[in-house]
Amino acid sequence: MAQPLLRISDASKRFGGVQALDRASLVVHEGEVVGLLGENGAGKSTLVKTLAGLHQLDAGVIELDGRSFRQGNPRLAREQGVAIIYQEPSLFPDLTLAENVFVGRQPKSGGRVDWSQMRARTASLFADLGIDLDPGRLARGLSIADQQMVEIVKALSLDARLIIMDEPSAALTNAEVERLLGVARRLRDQGRGVIYISHRLEEVFQVCDSVTVMRDGATVASAPIAEVDTAQIVRWMVGREITEMFPKVPAQIGEVILSVEGLSSTGEFHDISFEVRRGEIVALAGLVGSGRSEVVRAIFGIDPITSGTITMAGTRLSRHTPSRAMAAGISLVPEDRRLQGLLMPASIAHNTALTVLRRLRRAGLVRIGAERRLAEEWATTLRLRYASIDDPVERLSGGNQQKVVLSKWLATSPRLLIVDEPTRGIDVGTKAEVHRLLSEQAAAGMAVLMVSSDLPEVLGMADRILVMREGRLVDEISRADATQERVMTAAAGAAA
Amino acid sequence: MSRGAFRLSWDKSILLLLILLVLFGGMNNEYFATGDNVNFILGDISEIMLIAFPMALLIIVKEIDLSVASSLTLASALCGVTWQATGSIWVAVLAGIMTGVACGLLNGLLVTRLGLSSLAVTIGTLALYRGLCYVALGDTPIADFPTEFTDLGYTPIAGTFLPWVVVPMVVAGIVFWYVLHGTRFGRWLFAIGQGDEAAEFSGIPVLRVKLWLFILTGLMCGIAGIGYTVRFASSSPDGALGFELLVIAAVLFGGVAIAGGVGTIWGVIAAVLIWGFSQSYLQLIGWDANALVIVSGVLLLLSVTIPRLLGALRESVAQRTFRPKGTEGAPPPPGEGVAEHSPAGAGHDQGSHRG
Amino acid sequence: MSGGLSRVARLREVPVLSALIVLLLLTAILNPAFRGGEGLKAILIESALIAFLAAGQANLIIMRHIDLSVSSTAGLVSFLIGNTSMNNMGISVPQSLMIAVAVGAAVGIVNGALVAYLKLPSLVVTIGTLYLVRGIFNYLAGGVTVTADALPGWVAAIGSGSILGVPDLFVIALILCVLMTIVQTSTRWGRDLYAIGSNPPAAARVGIPVAHREFAAFVLNGIIAGLAGMLLLFRFSFADATAGLGIELYVVAACVIGGVAIAGGVGTAMGALIGAVLLQAITFALGALGVSQFWQQAVAGALLVLAIAFDRIVALRSTQRINRLAEAPV
Repeated sequence: MAQPLLRISDASKRFGGVQALDRASLVVHEGEVVGLLGENGAGKSTLVKTLAGLHQLDAGVIELDGRSFRQGNPRLAREQGVAIIYQEPSLFPDLTLAENVFVGRQPKSGGRVDWSQMRARTASLFADLGIDLDPGRLARGLSIADQQMVEIVKALSLDARLIIMDEPSAALTNAEVERLLGVARRLRDQGRGVIYISHRLEEVFQVCDSVTVMRDGATVASAPIAEVDTAQIVRWMVGREITEMFPKVPAQIGEVILSVEGLSSTGEFHDISFEVRRGEIVALAGLVGSGRSEVVRAIFGIDPITSGTITMAGTRLSRHTPSRAMAAGISLVPEDRRLQGLLMPASIAHNTALTVLRRLRRAGLVRIGAERRLAEEWATTLRLRYASIDDPVERLSGGNQQKVVLSKWLATSPRLLIVDEPTRGIDVGTKAEVHRLLSEQAAAGMAVLMVSSDLPEVLGMADRILVMREGRLVDEISRADATQERVMTAAAGAAA
Repeated sequence: MSRGAFRLSWDKSILLLLILLVLFGGMNNEYFATGDNVNFILGDISEIMLIAFPMALLIIVKEIDLSVASSLTLASALCGVTWQATGSIWVAVLAGIMTGVACGLLNGLLVTRLGLSSLAVTIGTLALYRGLCYVALGDTPIADFPTEFTDLGYTPIAGTFLPWVVVPMVVAGIVFWYVLHGTRFGRWLFAIGQGDEAAEFSGIPVLRVKLWLFILTGLMCGIAGIGYTVRFASSSPDGALGFELLVIAAVLFGGVAIAGGVGTIWGVIAAVLIWGFSQSYLQLIGWDANALVIVSGVLLLLSVTIPRLLGALRESVAQRTFRPKGTEGAPPPPGEGVAEHSPAGAGHDQGSHRG
Repeated sequence: MSGGLSRVARLREVPVLSALIVLLLLTAILNPAFRGGEGLKAILIESALIAFLAAGQANLIIMRHIDLSVSSTAGLVSFLIGNTSMNNMGISVPQSLMIAVAVGAAVGIVNGALVAYLKLPSLVVTIGTLYLVRGIFNYLAGGVTVTADALPGWVAAIGSGSILGVPDLFVIALILCVLMTIVQTSTRWGRDLYAIGSNPPAAARVGIPVAHREFAAFVLNGIIAGLAGMLLLFRFSFADATAGLGIELYVVAACVIGGVAIAGGVGTAMGALIGAVLLQAITFALGALGVSQFWQQAVAGALLVLAIAFDRIVALRSTQRINRLAEAPV
């Protein structure tokens, strides 16, 4: 083939103690759709953000069209012909679609914005891609899929040569995905390069001409799509057998603690029923966007449900709120540590005690001493590394922050501990500690419900695996029967 | 933490400023530090102080109430109207206080039930409540209150130079200090200001807390409205004009961060006292009473500008001394946050972090 | 008119305008005294100043900002011009304009610099400058009162004059609002304001110089507030330390009622002008219908609260509808 459109070689990038990219490479030709695959944390995002102009490599070469790519400036990246379509685009809700496409560079005639020209040009771009939207409507209320289409059209109006779609299908319905894949093919046929990032292997096989697989910041394989199959890709992505990295402590599985029946929430998930027993670790697996987090948030009372029942230890919960969930013995370690898990500017002591202030009061006053003692005890139990218990948690590393979140929830002595992505973005050592802790808690009689995108973690920790796809429970797998392929297949809906 | 360290020094410097001001004033003007003058000053600041307390709590949870002056005046108006109608000063006082509570309740419901911005809502109710004052009173003030009632405005408490209006002020100061810095509710307020989503995920009923704060603000406006009626011996529809701005200026000058999550009650007390004493001093040395609003404006601008400038300075120093420490996950670079902002998708739950 | 412009108008200004027309018709039917045109003329005169100020304020509200200092600026300018005229036996139009622009720009630069470049909240900053300017104003004005006989003839002439039966004051406000609406709908600068108010982080991402736009809009609004000081003088031929007191809230109310939502991203200066007239028309209608004048402010306030709540409820409704659509089985 001719000179490639994009060539990245030996790309390296460190964030603090983490090697996000480790001599990664990637090649995209004109008129080619390249599937970029890898588990969470494999380095895909860092690579994409570098191309978006948001990061600068520590080392390595990026060539676009044979010229050196100037990094570190989003505007410059756009001018060099790179456009990114995100999973959640950000349009201007109060502007028309046409203006969203041309915002900041509206066509003018006679010194004034030429609205009819703008609409006409947008309409013709829409027509090129077979998009059936009125350029004159406002962006407010547009579905995510349609928003992505507008972003793609914006990229085309900027004459982007390389279009990166970063998990664009995560929030889309099947029909919307079909349309998206159609658009990706059209872009390829116009001679542009497309990088397609997705966890759904089915889509990758439908649209990509080749795949590049990343793991631990490095590129492990690149191959034409015709030469690979699902099993091969999964092996590349995972790259290791499940070892005894997960210190699973044998636990006595007892009576039912949580029972969920027919749980539904409009537009989020539908007819979810399952049980979690004392001493059991149940994993809720599935792709990002399959509704896992929404289900556990509903169980904790954050999100409303439209129908169904939640029963804790035989008592049905009604008028469900987080404080009632807590009273019933439910704890939730949420997905987003910084936004939902912690008060970043507040101290370790304040964060730890926030859930149990009621217990720490005397004559209505919160006892500062008792609060600090509580926090210090948990810090010791969880081997937290900190300078002072009064330090704000924003000074801690991600792993230590997660330990504070676990402290604040374990301090409530829950009967059911829900953890949503408990080890995302934390280092390997802390990860093992978190796994040990969850195992021990289960062994001590706690019921644990774990949402995770980390397959080895799911397989290593769970007694039972529930798999969600597009808002529904599609499979239940016992520990004995669990394999990566089976979970992946159920989650992606692909025939493996 | 840097913000905490700065806040401490801000509060300290306010207190220092207050002491210096009193010393300076006392030395340069013989009337300044007399019991009579202090009696006058304390009366003068009492309404500001009473409303500054709940306003501080509101600003800590990132809300605001601009309708306080109108609520106060409406409470005073209803107190006067009820007095004329019933002839019972106790019923009148109760009616005034309940009016304040009702004003706060309406604000709170609009903000927490409809999810409106409190700034917008309370600009609206500011006009509404003020309008209702005219409805209640016409343009003629009510001034025929019993003298034993209005005497409370300036008569000192027996054996001291302190006016009676000091009593609710001191009681409120103690209660608010206790609530904000001692109780679980106070912790909740800081938690909401420091991260409302994390607060909600910690089981704090964020909306209910905010509703109660608006009601509390209304209650304090009601009490302040009674104090105002007592001190001016009248209910008039155009009382306390522009008062809301004074209260907010004092709260912010007292070290409560407009961005929420930070503040102390004694910082607010010190700020209100500084305002009262400096006004008094400038008046004593012959400044036009109207021109004194310059002081309020300057204090307000300084109280937001100085922390911001110091923050920027500290940041630039910090950036020069060490590279920002990365957490394990790739930290979001500046100007990113794509996942957070999807207003065009208002149809889809914005805050939904899909999992 | 081009498609986009008519679309914007169709979306937000039309209901307000219809409400205004219905209100005027009702009043005219129910109160014969109102039919002579004098009532309408009075409404236009009274709403001109608010509409004029709303033209600049709309730019800021579109960007999710606010400027409460305009009443102080306008009051100060009206006093300075009046006072200069009193001391120098008259003042020329260019001199007056110079005072208005200089004072207005100075206040606007302070507001703009603090909000745009120091990223301070505009509410707090402009409350501060409201005080500061009002204090300087009071300091200068003291007990001074400028009366009509100290003012040059052209002041009274504009104040009471009319063109084709439309009061001069309103014509001035109308011209400004039309010009501003053209800027808002037909220039990139104007469109940038909507983009900023609609989604601030995205505006920065597409390369709009957000801080520069904010600064410029504050300076422009300051200058408009300064010029409004002249209108104030035309209207009353009188100036003292209370000139312009408290009108900032009516300006914000006019914008919000006229469709410039406090949440940003929508509305035009023409809408704000209609809002200003509607506010005034309600006051007059109540009077004409025999409702006590004391109800007028309360009704205006209630209307403002309703306008704010209405926008939100409409937004919530459409969100729910879309969620239901998303639920449709695939």
